[in-house]
Amino acid sequence: MVPKLSWLRLDSHHMDPVEFFSNHIFRMVFLGTTVIGLVAGALGAFAYLRKQSLISDVIGHAALPGALLAFLAAVTMFGVNGRSMLLLVIGAVITGTLAALFANTIAARTKVAIDTAMAISMTTFFGFGMLLLRFITNNPFPGKGGIQDYLFGNAASITRADLTTSIAVGALAMGLMVVFWKEFTLRSFDPVLSTMLGFKARIIDTLMFTTIVIAIVIGVKAVGFVLMVAFVVTPPAAARQWTNTLPGMVMLSGLIGGLGSGFGAYLSISLGNVPTGPVIVLVLFAILLFSLLASPKRSVVITALRRMRARRALKQELISEGSTR
Amino acid sequence: MTSTPLACESQDLSVVYRDEPVLRHVNFRVPTGSVMGIVGPNGAGKSTLIKAMLGLVKPLTGHATFFGQPFGDVRKRVGYMPQSASVDWDFPTTVIDLAVMGTYGELGWIRRPGKAERARAMAALEMTGMQDFASRQIGELSGGQRQRAFLARALVQAPDLYFMDEPFQGIDAKSQQAMIEVLKDLSAQGKTIVIVHHHLASVLDFCDHVTLLNKRIIASGPGPETFTKDNIRMAYEASDGAEAFLAEAG
Repeated sequence: MVPKLSWLRLDSHHMDPVEFFSNHIFRMVFLGTTVIGLVAGALGAFAYLRKQSLISDVIGHAALPGALLAFLAAVTMFGVNGRSMLLLVIGAVITGTLAALFANTIAARTKVAIDTAMAISMTTFFGFGMLLLRFITNNPFPGKGGIQDYLFGNAASITRADLTTSIAVGALAMGLMVVFWKEFTLRSFDPVLSTMLGFKARIIDTLMFTTIVIAIVIGVKAVGFVLMVAFVVTPPAAARQWTNTLPGMVMLSGLIGGLGSGFGAYLSISLGNVPTGPVIVLVLFAILLFSLLASPKRSVVITALRRMRARRALKQELISEGSTR
Repeated sequence: MTSTPLACESQDLSVVYRDEPVLRHVNFRVPTGSVMGIVGPNGAGKSTLIKAMLGLVKPLTGHATFFGQPFGDVRKRVGYMPQSASVDWDFPTTVIDLAVMGTYGELGWIRRPGKAERARAMAALEMTGMQDFASRQIGELSGGQRQRAFLARALVQAPDLYFMDEPFQGIDAKSQQAMIEVLKDLSAQGKTIVIVHHHLASVLDFCDHVTLLNKRIIASGPGPETFTKDNIRMAYEASDGAEAFLAEAG
């Protein structure tokens, strides 16, 4: 009899770490996803605290047409490599920002609520991106091979240059966060006091928004725009369960993102023909689930038990008091 | 008109939310050294008045001055305590970190708080009796402790004028007493305090001036002569809460 799990080809592809890291492509996949996870996790903490997790989804989906327009501009007008990470980032930043502004404008000017406005903006930009994608694949543009990977990523396509760009751009965004730590914190926690003390809201918001956009677009090649939001949203939610300080949360979130991504990448390669991004997303979710269940102060299990006991005690008390009327 | 210099005043301040007027022609004057209570029914524009004066909400007409100057020139002399309901209590910050935020204004952009700032924050926590809770996450505090932590943050800023939005909302008697002691100290030092207050019966316990507000100023001035039954009735337009209070007051 054939074991049921044989299709995963666990045994045939399982490899020891030495074998794994001696392979250049595997090494690139591992390092690339670790950097992406670390940067997105750390920067995602502030998005979580400002309750702007959804905006990262908007940026992610709206980045698609930007990256594709950048590709088109590069190959048709400038005759350069349209797949360079830097060009992709620039295009993605532009349309990602436009989509976020578009959503905010709809919410501010009309009676459409912000969640609806975000969904409208996100799907509209994404729909336009899908049309562009079809246009590119149907026409003979140089270097278009594999461009549909922008959607769901292809970790095996990470080059050394991509890794260098990711580290440089990620370090820049993390540097912004460290330098403006005090301003980011106050604006997230108490926007009124922040403005009163003379910190210009527009400056801080622009800086914070820039870091979130970078956190999203950094992962496009390896993970794709669609799943990248999980890298920004899930690690902070998990980290928040374990720590009560902001530095602790940002560091832990980065750690969870980095380690979870590295582990997920290793797992996806060991398992054989399994896409890396989705495996990492599931690993991150497993970490979140564990955090929600097991964290000493915020565990949902312990909270539910405590509440049940308290209710039972209260019920006893109320019954023993008897009806007063 | 009094001859006392004013800590702050608004001139013909009107605020519109979308196309709904929230404040109309408000001339609000707070004498230096007074404890001014702003009282009025829900939706009277009490918080909006503070926000508009501080430039957080753009007024349709009018403007405000602080110590005779625009707010931007004297922002370091003005402190603020937010309404408890507007705070994210799950935010990962400790009581001491919260108090340190009171130093951010003078630090300005990029510069970080150091030992001196932490020491000042700790001293302020001692003044409000919160020193033992310094390393607690703010959500782990009781209602009264939360307000005392925010009061400490305002004290760290050492302003000459304090704005407090419902500081006694949902707090225990002990915390209220501790806070009133601090307010009396501040008042004795000549500081000016503006308090948005909800509970009619206790207004005159700690306010020496009262402003009755309901989209416009109904009455404003020294406590007893302003906080009259007629004025209260006019401000509340015979709403239930005020009727009960008036009935009790006889």
